[in-house]
Amino acid sequence: MQRRHFLHSTGSAAALSVFGTGLPVASSHAQDRFAKYKGQTLVISVPSHPHYDAMMKLLPEFTKQTGIKVEADRLQILRMKDKQLLEMAKPGGDYDLVSYVVMWKGEYVKKNLIRELEPFLKNTALADPGFDMTDIVPGYLENLGLVGGPKGYLPGPGAKLYGLPYGAETSILAYRKDIFDKLNLQAPATYEDMVKLLPILKDKAGMGALTSRGQAGHQCTHAWLLHLNPMGGKVFDAQWKPVFNNATGVKALEFFQQVVVTGPAGIPAFGQGEMMTAFLQGQAAMYLDSTVIFGPVRDAAKSKVDGKVSYALHPKGVRYASQSGGLGLAIPRNAKNPDAAFLLMQWLLSKSQDVAVSKLGGAPTLLSTLSNADMVRQYPEYITLREQLKYLDLDWRPIIAEWDEINVQALGVAISEAITGKKAAQEALDGTVPKVTQIMQRGGYLKA
Amino acid sequence: MKTKPWVPAVYLGPAVLVMALACLYPVLSAVQLGFFNWSMGTPWSNAQWVGLETFQRVLHEPSVWRSLKTTLLFAAIVVSIEMALGIALALALEGQVRGMAFFRTLFILPMMIAPIAVGLTWRYLFDTQFGLLNALLGALGLEPVAWLAQESSAFIAIIVADIWQWTPFVFIMMIAALANVDRSVLEAARVDGANWWQITFLVKLPMVMHIIAITLLMRLIDAFRVLEVIYILTFGGPGEATEILSLYIYKTAFVGQQLGAAAAISVLLLVVVFGLSWAALRLSNPFREKH
Repeated sequence: MQRRHFLHSTGSAAALSVFGTGLPVASSHAQDRFAKYKGQTLVISVPSHPHYDAMMKLLPEFTKQTGIKVEADRLQILRMKDKQLLEMAKPGGDYDLVSYVVMWKGEYVKKNLIRELEPFLKNTALADPGFDMTDIVPGYLENLGLVGGPKGYLPGPGAKLYGLPYGAETSILAYRKDIFDKLNLQAPATYEDMVKLLPILKDKAGMGALTSRGQAGHQCTHAWLLHLNPMGGKVFDAQWKPVFNNATGVKALEFFQQVVVTGPAGIPAFGQGEMMTAFLQGQAAMYLDSTVIFGPVRDAAKSKVDGKVSYALHPKGVRYASQSGGLGLAIPRNAKNPDAAFLLMQWLLSKSQDVAVSKLGGAPTLLSTLSNADMVRQYPEYITLREQLKYLDLDWRPIIAEWDEINVQALGVAISEAITGKKAAQEALDGTVPKVTQIMQRGGYLKA
Repeated sequence: MKTKPWVPAVYLGPAVLVMALACLYPVLSAVQLGFFNWSMGTPWSNAQWVGLETFQRVLHEPSVWRSLKTTLLFAAIVVSIEMALGIALALALEGQVRGMAFFRTLFILPMMIAPIAVGLTWRYLFDTQFGLLNALLGALGLEPVAWLAQESSAFIAIIVADIWQWTPFVFIMMIAALANVDRSVLEAARVDGANWWQITFLVKLPMVMHIIAITLLMRLIDAFRVLEVIYILTFGGPGEATEILSLYIYKTAFVGQQLGAAAAISVLLLVVVFGLSWAALRLSNPFREKH
């Protein structure tokens, strides 16, 4: 945003654009921007994830263009945090740029481990005049980047930018068009439609109805949240009191139980990988989860369903509310090469590189990529995604430090017990309220 | 010439000091951490002294006791089966049988594989959709089983994976021990008319009881520390069915960021393992009898 102001107030730049000579000048400025950092080696911490698999293929081009080398330390997504915390807490860390899960942003800022981005964006020696912050999907930017606003994580007064989305995602419904056509069925528009459709697909499609995550811990909680929010539920009320065991929470969990019964066998053990594989290998007729599925569906090495899949909005309950999550990039406070790290971050989020990463199976971050005519022709799912992004629920889950413990060790146990039939939905959720209350008291959100 | 009493202390002192520091420092650090509220990524100077509060809290946590119960059951089953199988395999392969070197190598292979790879391998074997076990069931015309999605079968799955990986350790220890049994004693037993059962259970195994005790002790300690395989296979689920204490500690420390609580539970685990180790050494203590 600052760069736009800068550009608008600079008459010469505007004139150059009008006369069509902006590109060479911008290119020469770009050379100046990178020259100082040529020969530096950036160490980045990124996950094994389809979006970052695609990003890795772009890095040689970055080095070729800028002379800045990049070394990537790749880890399983949920194990990155331990190492990042240890590295970023040292006086001089090894990482120059870290990829983080949205849940970690508040904690990293609270512990003063990552840098605010405003100074970089204001630095004319670093910021690219062509870098357009308003082109980033607003919901992604607010969800991944802002800290300090209402509730600590929402946009509003006090919020500051600490990271940029890269590998951000929302939820979407993918379904087997061939099966639906054969059975003369319509894609479900609402949860009521879903409830009716699940047993029909189970009986007639010759495969599970809807695939889902279900493994104990983070995975099954994630799956339940996907249904809770559209049904109008929340984990906490405005005073941080647990309300997840109310009628809506129970209804969402009972729906999840039905998904398990009618879905591919083994859902209670499915992580994200198994959940996706079941759909990609033709074991389930529907998928309702992250948009990260776009790339793998087209990947012949992973998918048997390329050309058979259509997309629809995440079904409506009492409202539309799709997942807000995924990954972002931030610069550690103790980075040895913070300026070069910013240059990489900015380069990755340039219009051309966002198109490039999307073509390689990554997730688009920019509005311009989603409305790029060539890309839409190639990836018609972007039409549905653009519509889905209007319903991104930024308060989809509480992004507070206590959430990880609640997510894995409280709700993640209760929901797992409910979907394996050990406990009824109401009993399972009621049983975990004391533990969640205790965690929130310990965190200072509730009085003891 | 009589050795002066301070000479052994000079020779052994440095080694004893290094060992004591290397062993005691982490233990004392864990105990110390239990008295503080500290979060990873913040300076230690920010840690708050909370006294015994964390210890009291974790001792009143039902899931800690559930996890301890799961751990004891898991350890009892896997160690018993591994000891029995390992000893049986060693007895079967101790002689000069054709192809013995091949079998010995084959049997110790699982132990050499990284636990993460073991976890992944078994996860794929138990996979409901594409796993080998269900493919075999399918070939027999049976319905697939969601092995890792049901409490009892998931618990059996972690037991099977552990037995597969660690029976070779017992085997290798026992084969070495049996090789050192004095042949003349066995010959004497044979001359006295003892049959195979009598020679094995009344002569051979009692002669290697020290090694059996040490092996039992090592397996017992390891069974309480196993983490990676269960992390990959079930992540402690379904529910808490396979959440053994080391995984609970991991989650408390690195998911919940409750390092003090994790340290306090580690101390509890240490006490339990110490008690069991003491009991195992009561069975046959080579250190005591050497004197």
